[in-house]
Amino acid sequence: MRYQLPLWAGVFAVLCLCSCSGSENPVNPTVLISLDAPDYFPASKALPADNPLTEEGVHLGRMLFYEKQLSADGSISCGSCHQQQKAFTDGLQFSKGVNEAMGHKNAMSLSNLHWSGKFFWDGRSGSLEEQSLEPIQESFEMNLSLAEAVERLQQDEKYPALFEAAFGTNEVNAERIGKALAQFERTLISANSKFDRWIKNEVKLTPEEQLGLELFFTHPEPSIQLRGGNCSDCHLGFLTAGDSEGFMGFHNNGLDIDENLDPGLFEVTKNPFDQGKFKAPSLRNIGLTAPYMHDGRFASLEEVLDHYNEHIQNSQTLDVLILEASNEQINPTAPIKLHLAQKEKEAIIAFLHTLTDQQFITNEKFSDPFN
Amino acid sequence: MKNIKYFLFAFLLGFTSCSDDEVPAEMKVNIAIENLMDASLLELDGPSYMLPSGEAFTPKKFKYFISNVKLTNSSTGESYTEPNSYHLISTGGKTSIDLGMIPSSGYDHILFSIGVDEVANGKTDQTGDLDPNSDMAWNWNTGYKFVVLEGEYTNSVTNERAGLVLHVGTNQNYREISQQLSGVRAGETTLITLVTNVDELFINPNTLPISQLASTTIMGGEHANKIAENYSEGFITVK
Repeated sequence: MRYQLPLWAGVFAVLCLCSCSGSENPVNPTVLISLDAPDYFPASKALPADNPLTEEGVHLGRMLFYEKQLSADGSISCGSCHQQQKAFTDGLQFSKGVNEAMGHKNAMSLSNLHWSGKFFWDGRSGSLEEQSLEPIQESFEMNLSLAEAVERLQQDEKYPALFEAAFGTNEVNAERIGKALAQFERTLISANSKFDRWIKNEVKLTPEEQLGLELFFTHPEPSIQLRGGNCSDCHLGFLTAGDSEGFMGFHNNGLDIDENLDPGLFEVTKNPFDQGKFKAPSLRNIGLTAPYMHDGRFASLEEVLDHYNEHIQNSQTLDVLILEASNEQINPTAPIKLHLAQKEKEAIIAFLHTLTDQQFITNEKFSDPFN
Repeated sequence: MKNIKYFLFAFLLGFTSCSDDEVPAEMKVNIAIENLMDASLLELDGPSYMLPSGEAFTPKKFKYFISNVKLTNSSTGESYTEPNSYHLISTGGKTSIDLGMIPSSGYDHILFSIGVDEVANGKTDQTGDLDPNSDMAWNWNTGYKFVVLEGEYTNSVTNERAGLVLHVGTNQNYREISQQLSGVRAGETTLITLVTNVDELFINPNTLPISQLASTTIMGGEHANKIAENYSEGFITVK
């Protein structure tokens, strides 16, 4: 038995936000909603007290997510680089901003973000509310000042009313833009993959997928003949995502030697121990989000598995769980290798494909409302 | 005569109600935990500590479960058992256990376990400190890691940077600990301080010479069992 409880249904409640204001200032009631997440996701994480989830807020956030006016020349929206059918990535190594500007990080997949603690590959943002405003302003992304963004939305014929419905005021400001985008992003829950149905005992995995799952969730120890792929040391639990506590979910996964390390988390903490560490992302829908790594250097999952199996580059901050992982007795002077067999690598990839969630990438609630 | 009796009764009544020896029914008890290594407070990703076998060691992660906390009073037979008692203690995370208001007694022993008992260790539908989404859940077959220590050390034979990864769990390595308490007075707010000494994972009774081990990833097998023997005494003690 793994997990047999039914999906936790979202509880809907109606709350009149104006309940303590006078009758002369009537505001339409907002409809509070809760995240529709399975009960095997961490239950303890509360929504931010100052940004509860409402139907109106999520609706506004969805509009803003796909709003091209939020880029300097009106050519792109958040949804341009975070496309639903690719699990909110764009299939490119680096994304193109306005005026053909090129970024230098791979667009991250967006799912189950409520259970993530730090955002961006280098962890520089501590909340979705804060994170969501950055790409609007970034010169090589949407390149629009927040003042201009506020002005455009305030002048638009539909947005003041949508802000009124969501926040009780038709005054647009940056904080409310961030809050609405964060609300929409929190609803992007992926929890209907084959892996989820396996957790709920609704389906069986194929023998290959089952082997892949076991390898995924096992750190190898050759002295007791325990074979493992070492994946879940960083991609934890049912979410297959990095640890959400502080910066514990950031690791140097052996992409480069010391001289070539991209600073990553070091830029944020200035701690030399954080050199070359990046966020361990959720692997949900990983089959749809190529290319891989913070710099999109690997085109396929096969290349990713080859990297972890036989091309780890040693450096001063290489994660000890990678340094110390092998399916054969470690010779300290030999290069670091995981020593998985070819069919074990293939099994792990087969398991990774069970993380693909068709419902997530076709859910109309997440789609572009302007289409 | 009747009046005298009445007077005496009133006198006694007055005496008891004015007494400051009256013990409240409940007392507040908190347990604080200090993680030490090489006689210093443990910090992650910074200072280097000396392992008992002499190597310089930089810890990256230190987490363990304290569970099934119980206080007993051996002279009166009274006891308090914390319900749903599972605490994931970690450097950089939780370092105290608040028992809240509990029945008053002059407790003279604290009992607790290192690890997660067999019943809780066989389930994944748990919340709080046993949330299986944390990095303490091993996988669906083997339950929780009980004690996790990760870090890097300099191998004294090869002089190379190497990883030291201890993940000790499985039911046979669940250990019940009993420690004497002194100075706990019924009814008084009490702070019990436990000291956890990382060095004790590697010594007493089994000495683990880290640089000599064939593998310094210890996740089961003989060495994990030896570490469990080590943590069953002297690893967590009352300060």
